[in-house]
Amino acid sequence: MHELLEVSNVVAGYGSGPAILNGADLDVAKGEIQCIIGPNGAGKSTLMKAIIGLLPIRSGEIRLLGERIDRLRPDQILQKGIAFVPQERALFPKMSVRENLRMGGYTIRNETELKRRIDDVLDRFPILRERASQHAGTMSGGQQQMLAMARTLIVRPKIVMLDEPSLGLAPMIVKQMFDIMHQLRDSGMTVLLVEQNAVVGLKNANRGTVLDLGRTLFSGPAKDILTDPRVRELYLGKAAA
Amino acid sequence: MATGLGVSDVLKARKNYNEGLASTGRRERATWFPLVLLALLVLLPALQITGGHNYTLHLMLYAMMYAAMASSWNILGGYTGYISLGHNVFFCIGGYFSGMLLAYFGVTSLLTAPLAGLAAAVVGFAVGLITLKMRGPTFIISSIALLMVARILFDHWQFVGGSNGVTLPQMDIPAQWAKLPYYYSMMVVCALTVWASYRIKHSKFGLGLRAISQDEVKAESAGIDTRFYKVLAFAISAFFVGMAGAIWGEYITYLRPNIFLIILVAANMVLMCILGGKGTVAGPIVGAVVLIAFNELSVTFFGASEINLLITGLVMVLALKFFPAGIVGTLARKRRLPRVLDWD
Amino acid sequence: MLSSMLQVLILGLALGGVYALMASGLTLIFGVMRIVNLAHPIMIIAGAFVAYWLFRLYGVDPILAMPIAASVLFVIGVALYKLVFEKEAASAKYSEMTVLLTFAVALCADGLLGALFSNTQRVTTPAYATDAFIFGTVFIPKGQAYAGAISLLVIGALLAFLNFTRFGTAIRATTQNRAAAQLMGVNVGRVSLITFGIGIALAGAAGALVSFIFSFFPAKHWEWIAILMSLVVLGGMGKLVGAILGAFLLSVIAAFVGTYFGSTWSTMTFFLALFVILLVKPEGLLGDRQEEA
Repeated sequence: MHELLEVSNVVAGYGSGPAILNGADLDVAKGEIQCIIGPNGAGKSTLMKAIIGLLPIRSGEIRLLGERIDRLRPDQILQKGIAFVPQERALFPKMSVRENLRMGGYTIRNETELKRRIDDVLDRFPILRERASQHAGTMSGGQQQMLAMARTLIVRPKIVMLDEPSLGLAPMIVKQMFDIMHQLRDSGMTVLLVEQNAVVGLKNANRGTVLDLGRTLFSGPAKDILTDPRVRELYLGKAAA
Repeated sequence: MATGLGVSDVLKARKNYNEGLASTGRRERATWFPLVLLALLVLLPALQITGGHNYTLHLMLYAMMYAAMASSWNILGGYTGYISLGHNVFFCIGGYFSGMLLAYFGVTSLLTAPLAGLAAAVVGFAVGLITLKMRGPTFIISSIALLMVARILFDHWQFVGGSNGVTLPQMDIPAQWAKLPYYYSMMVVCALTVWASYRIKHSKFGLGLRAISQDEVKAESAGIDTRFYKVLAFAISAFFVGMAGAIWGEYITYLRPNIFLIILVAANMVLMCILGGKGTVAGPIVGAVVLIAFNELSVTFFGASEINLLITGLVMVLALKFFPAGIVGTLARKRRLPRVLDWD
Repeated sequence: MLSSMLQVLILGLALGGVYALMASGLTLIFGVMRIVNLAHPIMIIAGAFVAYWLFRLYGVDPILAMPIAASVLFVIGVALYKLVFEKEAASAKYSEMTVLLTFAVALCADGLLGALFSNTQRVTTPAYATDAFIFGTVFIPKGQAYAGAISLLVIGALLAFLNFTRFGTAIRATTQNRAAAQLMGVNVGRVSLITFGIGIALAGAAGALVSFIFSFFPAKHWEWIAILMSLVVLGGMGKLVGAILGAFLLSVIAAFVGTYFGSTWSTMTFFLALFVILLVKPEGLLGDRQEEA
């Protein structure tokens, strides 16, 4: 029995620079929200880039449903069912909301099917329907994050990876964001996210993983991670007390 | 999957990791090496006592000129990260400045070369005020445009002879010793340039330039007056190229735009720095020697300047693709750099 | 007076079309790959040589030779990308690296064409190259009229391709945000390869037209680099429509300058314009301020 996504002993770095990931491990089960935490420079974003294929790995394995995906390109990995929203959200600023959603469905060649899916997504995010013809670059940070998440849903991926979705957003918007994630999980999707605000991230997740120095140090139910004294001392600080 | 690591283990691992990233200490400098090199260059013309070595002297003069020009280019292109593909404009300004003084007033360029350098530096400063507002590719384009503008101006400026140029008077020295004044002058220019390059690299100014080349916005927020630093680097870099141009002009006894303002001269400076190692002190010198030796061979075998252009381009592609850090840079990275070349 | 100004305007516009085509490939490649292709003008000259030899050896009309020149240059472009640029995507100093590489490629191509065909002035001479349409006091040389019109047709086709096809959409998306396009399932490596090919093919097509309106020789491309860059920078780097506007604007200005101050200053117009634009509005007419990575 394979986990949905298995990352084992991955080493990766940028260019000819030092390795940022030094043997990272990760197991993601279907239908869970898993949150990766760790200090700055721990390799959290790098791990996501390695999974999606933006950064070639130097050694180790990444498997989706048992099949190796660590030599594939990002566009191929998307087709296998992993979608990724990077920190900077990767929208097309000069395209409208609708065009951005169309780009989200770039791999869907059937035009009627694409239209239907865009409609579905717009139903789920009424705020985006209101702004369907607005340029993405002119929207607020929260709306942009919403659009970025909505866009990944067009291809109905197995896993959605979100790199710091709450970055720079007001607490109320952050709450909305997590509500959406819970909805996604409840509809059978799997969410993997990186959070700088470890406490908020873990409270909203089923499972947590602690990454430091490019290695996986702890992994387990989010509740346990939150209460683990070692994790509290090293990573959660006083805020968790 | 929780591992058995304790808190102290993690802290220790972090410390080790950080120490691993720090670079190792510096070695002693081989100060004797440039002195010996200089002494050999001073003594080399003694060969002429027996005669027949004019071509060797010419080649050494040529190599010293390019070592000076590449080192000078390196101050802007290597340390500061602003690639100029039109730097021969200052070579031209230097050559024409002193050349005109010679043609109209009969003063030898060997005396006026510092003034020619100054003229080039002033122009460089003025041009830099404009073009250094641009970054990256846009700056590179502007440097080519500068070259084109200069070519049109010099081709049509009748006072300096237009595209036909002017012939300069020669010094009255027996052929056996005719090259010596220029040889020694070029040697002084070369030594001065390399010394300046070394001093700049190890100064606060040089540190600022390197900060600019890595991240200009951050350099500025760290309190560096980036605009002044860049423009000054441009002017200094124009200064030495201008001096070299002044001596070269009188040495070859005529001035013509299509000697000074052809792209190959600029390409050579760039290529020498890339070959030797951009941003290192010794790199441009090594690059100049290697490229000139290589050109000698290729001209012997193929002649024709078109083929020479083709080969220069090919060497540049290969160097960029397989040796982007250059000879000195690559050796340093592998920690195999001989001590005599380690001046960074 | 008025009719002579109209005359100059028409000549400027006709040439503007050709300049627009010459610049389109350059700006397309910059848009998708952020490569400032200093070798673009020598590729135009290579295209001109293809048309020249087809005309000289087989009497093929340079306009008919245009698709052939474009195809030949497409292949060259694809090969060049594979050999030289493909692996550079990961390079830390990407824009500096690629611009130096294109400079080196330009040196190679210049030297190669010079060695093969020598640096003598050449021009193809189909019958229409020396003929003109005459309307009262105003005339248009047929060569320039045809070249301008065909350039506009090719540019129109290019715009349609970019805006109404799936691959065109992928190119535009990659231009706007490369990483994002990749995450949407666009194979940006393939997009880059094909776009580079198309860009160089456009240079080849322009070259065939250039072959009968200008005299050309290999070393001429250095002058064209600065000319084309001024058009592209004026329009905003990577903005195709901007480059086209820039081409018409500068071409007309240069035509007037050339008529009233002499042809030397006509060329100078482009260079000085480049400095002025970079000083006053470096992001160009249609460009947005971009942060250098």
